[in-house]
Amino acid sequence: MSTENVIEVKNLTMEYSTRKGNVSAVDNVSFSIKRGQALGLVGESGCGKTSIAKSLLKLLPDNAMIQQGQIVLNGKDMVPLPEEEMRKHRWSEISMVFQAAMNAFNPVYTVGDQIIEAIETHLPDVSEKDARVKIENLFRMVGLAPEMVDRYPHEYSGGMRQRAVIAMALSCDPDIIIADEPTTALDVIVQDSILKEITTLQDRLNMSMVYISHDVAVIAEVSDRVGVMYAGRMVELADTEEIFIRPIHPYTYALMQSFPSVTGPKRELVALPGEPPDLLHPPKGCRFHPRCPNRIEKCDQEQPEWKDYGDNHFCACWNPMEIN
Amino acid sequence: MWSYIGKRIVQMFITLLLFQIATYILIDLQPGDVTDLLIGNPDITAAERARIAADLGLDGPLPSRIWTYLTNFYTGNLGVSMQQYPRPVSEILMTRLPRTFTLFMAATILSFWLGYIAGKFLAWKRGGAWEYASTITGVTLFTIFTPLLAYILLWLFARQLDSWISDTFGIDFDLPISKFNTPSLWRRAPYDTNTVFSWMNWNFFAIVMIILIALIVSNYIPRRYRPALRIGSVVLSIGGSLIWWAFISGVGLYAWDIVKHLFLPILTLTLISFGGNMLLTRTSMLETLREDYIETARAKGLPEGVIRNRHAARNAVLPVWTALVFSLSNTISGGIITETVFSWPGIGATLVQSVSVSDFAVAMGALTLIGIMTLIGHLIVDIGYVFLDPRIRIH
Amino acid sequence: MTNSSSNRSNGGSSVWQARWALFRKSAAANWALFAENPVGLIGLGIILFFLLLVILHPILLNTVWDPNVYNPINGFDPQSPVNPAPPSARHLLGTAPQGQDILSQLMFSARNEFILAVLAATVTVTMTTTLGAIAAYYGGVIDNVIMRIVDLVIMVPALSILIVVSGLFELSIVQLALVIGLISAFGASTVVIKSQALSIKVKPYIEAARVAGGGDFHIIFRHLLPNLMPIALLYMMFSVTGAIFSEAVLAFLGLLEVDMSWGIMLNTTRNLGFILDFSNRWYLIFPAGLSITLLSSAFYLVGRALDEIVNPRLRQR
Ligand SMILES: Nc1ncnc2c1ncn2[C@@H]1O[C@H](COP(=O)(O)OP(=O)(O)O)[C@@H](O)[C@H]1O
Ligand code: SF4
Ligand SMILES: [Mg+2]
Repeated sequence: MSTENVIEVKNLTMEYSTRKGNVSAVDNVSFSIKRGQALGLVGESGCGKTSIAKSLLKLLPDNAMIQQGQIVLNGKDMVPLPEEEMRKHRWSEISMVFQAAMNAFNPVYTVGDQIIEAIETHLPDVSEKDARVKIENLFRMVGLAPEMVDRYPHEYSGGMRQRAVIAMALSCDPDIIIADEPTTALDVIVQDSILKEITTLQDRLNMSMVYISHDVAVIAEVSDRVGVMYAGRMVELADTEEIFIRPIHPYTYALMQSFPSVTGPKRELVALPGEPPDLLHPPKGCRFHPRCPNRIEKCDQEQPEWKDYGDNHFCACWNPMEIN
Repeated sequence: MWSYIGKRIVQMFITLLLFQIATYILIDLQPGDVTDLLIGNPDITAAERARIAADLGLDGPLPSRIWTYLTNFYTGNLGVSMQQYPRPVSEILMTRLPRTFTLFMAATILSFWLGYIAGKFLAWKRGGAWEYASTITGVTLFTIFTPLLAYILLWLFARQLDSWISDTFGIDFDLPISKFNTPSLWRRAPYDTNTVFSWMNWNFFAIVMIILIALIVSNYIPRRYRPALRIGSVVLSIGGSLIWWAFISGVGLYAWDIVKHLFLPILTLTLISFGGNMLLTRTSMLETLREDYIETARAKGLPEGVIRNRHAARNAVLPVWTALVFSLSNTISGGIITETVFSWPGIGATLVQSVSVSDFAVAMGALTLIGIMTLIGHLIVDIGYVFLDPRIRIH
Repeated sequence: MTNSSSNRSNGGSSVWQARWALFRKSAAANWALFAENPVGLIGLGIILFFLLLVILHPILLNTVWDPNVYNPINGFDPQSPVNPAPPSARHLLGTAPQGQDILSQLMFSARNEFILAVLAATVTVTMTTTLGAIAAYYGGVIDNVIMRIVDLVIMVPALSILIVVSGLFELSIVQLALVIGLISAFGASTVVIKSQALSIKVKPYIEAARVAGGGDFHIIFRHLLPNLMPIALLYMMFSVTGAIFSEAVLAFLGLLEVDMSWGIMLNTTRNLGFILDFSNRWYLIFPAGLSITLLSSAFYLVGRALDEIVNPRLRQR
C-alpha cells in the first residue's frame, strides 16, 4: 500500500438553502484516503453522508453551496473548478455507486450502451470493439453473464442491476469509487454476495473507496478506516479495528454498543435517548450534547476540537470515553 | 408485438363498424331521405328519384338499409352527391383526401417536432423571462379562437409581410390567401394540379420513409457512424428532392404555386397544435429531469447536450407521444376550421360545406373518412410507442 | 343492523352539519391553495368580468340605453345611419354592419355563453361521475358497454360530430349545451374518472359501508360520487372551454340558429367581407374574437390551477 493520498478533503462545509433557512448538512469535515484504502462513513440517516458523497463529485442540487474547504483529488482542488472542467474528472477519476440503483439506468437504452457512453466520453481512444470487450470482462468480474450487456434495464433483477451499476462505476478505471448505501435496497442474501464482490474487486484493482452505510456491521466488513458522522460533522476517525476496540467519542461508543459483535444479533440503540437534531437549527457547541451522557459544562458552548489520540486516531470531544 | 398490433387493428375495425352504424342511424333520424335534395333539381323526375331511392335500399327496414349502406361502403360505393348530382361521393372525397392528408401530416409532424424542441429547451433553462413568455405563448396558442388566429396570420403574412417585401425588395411574393392553386397559372400547365400534387405527396412520403429507415438502421451500426447516417439521410433526401423539383421535373413553377398555397394553412394548423405540444413536453421534461438516471448521467461526466438530448428528452417524449392521441383530434378539429377559412378544398371544408347544404351522402362519407384518419392516427401512435419504449417492446 | 340504520336516520341532520363544516374547512384550505396561483386568479378574474357584463346588460337597457337603439339583435341608431361605424361616444365599440351596437351585442352574447357553459358543465359533470362510478362499481358488461361508447365518441373529434348534428337538427343554445355535455360525458374524462373511482372502490370505508348493509345505490351516491367531485370539477372546467369554443366555431361556420353570439358576430363580419380589414374594421373582428378567446381560456386557466390542487404532484417544483 503506497502512502500517496488519492483524495484529501479539508474542512469541507456545505449547506442547502431552503425556504425555511439553511440546512447545515456538512460542517467542517476532513479526511484523506490512500491508494487502495477503503474509508467507511457511518452515521444515522440524515447525518449528511450522501451530502458528502455528492460534494465529492460536485454533483449537488441547485440549492446546495459548498461554503468552504478543499477537495483535493490526485493533487488538484476540485472545489473552484467550473462545471465543464469538473465533468472531465467525474467517472475517470472518481465514480459513484448510487443509493437507488433500481433507477440508475435509463430505461430506453441497453445497459451496455449506457456504459459505453461513459467510456467514449472519457477514453476517446478506446475503440468501440475494445470498449465492449472491456465491459464484458467487467460483467464477468461482477458476476453477470456477458450477454446481459445488450439487455435493457427492465430485464435485470434488482441484484443484477446493482452489479451492473458497479461494473459501470469501474468502466473508466477511476482512482476512487464512492459507494452510497449500495446494498440497502436489496435483500439480505444478495446484499452479502454483493458486499463480498465489492471488497474483492477493490483489493484486486487496488482502488480507493468511500463506503457509506448506516449499518456498522457492513462498514466493519468493508472498510480499512472508519469515519463516524453525527449531524453533519465527523466526530471520530480511526482504523477499523482501532475504532471497534477503542471508541473514544460517546456517540461512537453508543453506536458500537448497539452492535456488540459484527456477526451477532443487532440491538437497538438503547443507550441514546432523543433524536438527531434538525440541521436547520443545529445545537450550539457540540452537536451531540443534547443526547450525550458525558456532557460537561462547555459542551453546549464551544465546538470540540479535532484532536489526535495517536495511532492515526482522531476525535472531537471535550470529555471522551476513558481511554484504556 | 405483431399479435398486439393485429389485435389493435381488429378492435379498431369493429369500432369503425359501430361508428358507421351509429352515424347512419343518426342521419336516418331526420325526416325525409337523402334524395330530398333532388326535389329542386329540374333534370330529375319523381320516378327517377324513386329509382335512386330504391337503389340505395331506402325503402327497406332500418337493419336492411344499414346492411345495404355498409356493403356499398366496403365495395367502394359511397353513393352520389345530391348537390352535384350524379357525381359519386367516393370520387369527390378521393380528390380531396390527399389535400387534407398533406395538411394534416405536415402540421402534425412540424408541431410535434417544434413543440418538442421548444419544450425541451424551456425545461432545461428553467425560470426567468423565457419561461414566462413561453407559457403565455403556449396557453394563448392553445386557447385562441382558431379562426381568429387564422385571420391574424393571413393578415400578417399575406397582407403586411407581402407588401413589405415587395416595397423593400421589389419581389412580388404574392402569398395567396385562399384556395388550392392559381387558375390563371395552371391553364398553361402540362399536368393538372392534382397530378403534380400527388407527385409532391409521394415525394414527401418517400422523404419520411427514408429518414425513418435511416433512424431505425442507425441503431444497428457502430455508434460513431450514427450521426452521419441520421443527418445524411435528412440532408440528402430533402436536398435531392428540392433539386429534382427545381431543375429536373420541369413543373417546379407549378409545384411552387401549390407550396405557396399550402404555406399559410400549414402554418396555422402547426401553430394550433404547437402550444399544447410545447407545454406538455416542458412539463414532462421537468419531471424526467428529477429521475435518478439523469443524476447517473451527470455523475458519469457526460456533456450537457448528451444529458439533455439523449437521456432527458428521449424519455420526456414518451408521454408527449401518448398524448398525440388527443392532440390528433385537436389538429383535426383545427384542420376543419383552417380548411374552411382558407377555402382549402379538403375533407374538412367538404364536411362543413355538405352539411350546410344538407348533402348528407357526402357529409357521411367525409365524417367516416375523418374517423378512419383518426383511427389510423391512433394505430400509428400505438405502433410508434412500441418502438419508442423498450419496456413494451421486450417483455 | 337495525341499530346502524336507525342511527343513520336519527343523526341525519348532525351528519350533514358535520359534513358542511368539513366542506367549509376544506374549501377554505383549497381556496388558499388556489389563491397562491396567479394563473387561476387571472382566469377567475376574467370570468367575473364577463359575468359583470351579463348582469349590467339588462340594467343598461332599462336605464341609459334606448332599447330601440341598443337592442343587440335588431337595434338601429338613426343618428348613425352609415354602418358599420367605428367607435364613438354613443357606441363605445362601434356599430355592426346592420347597425346594432357592438358593445351591446357583446354583453348580450356573454349571457348565452354562460347559459351554455353552466348547462354543458352540469350535464358533463353529472354524467361523467355517474358513468365513471357505475362502470367502476359494477365492472363487467356495464363497464364494457360504457367504454365501447367512449371509444366511439373519441374516435372522431367532437367538432366533426357537432357539425353533422347541427346540420341535421336546428339546435338552440340549450339543445347544443345538452349535446356538447353528452359528447364530453362519453369522452376521455370518463376514462380518467373511472380509474379514479376504481381506486376509491377498494378503500376500506367502501367495504365498511357494504358490511353495514349499504345498498349499491347508497354506496355509489353517498360514498363514490362525493369523492369523485374534485376531479370531475377539474374536467368540468375543460369541458366548458370546449363548449364555448365549439359554439363559437359552429356559429362562425353559420351552422347554428341562435339570435346572437360572438360566433355569429364574426360570421356576419366574414360574410360581408370585412374580416381581413384589420386597420379599418378591427372593431368588427377583435371584440368578438378576443371575447371567445378570453372566456374559454379563462376556464382553461382555472382548470389548470385546480389541476395543481387535485394533483399535488404538479405543485411541488
Ligand atoms: N436537496 C436538499 N435540500 C435541502 N435539504 C437537503 C437536501 N438534501 C438533503 N437535505 C438535508 O440534508 C441533511 C443530510 O442529508 P443526507 O446527506 O441525505 O443524509 P444521509 O445520506 O446521511 O441520510 C438532511 O437533514 C436532509 O434533510
Ligand atoms: S463534546 Fe461534550 S457533548 Fe459532545 S460528545 Fe463530547 S462530551 Fe458529549
Ligand atoms: Mg443517504
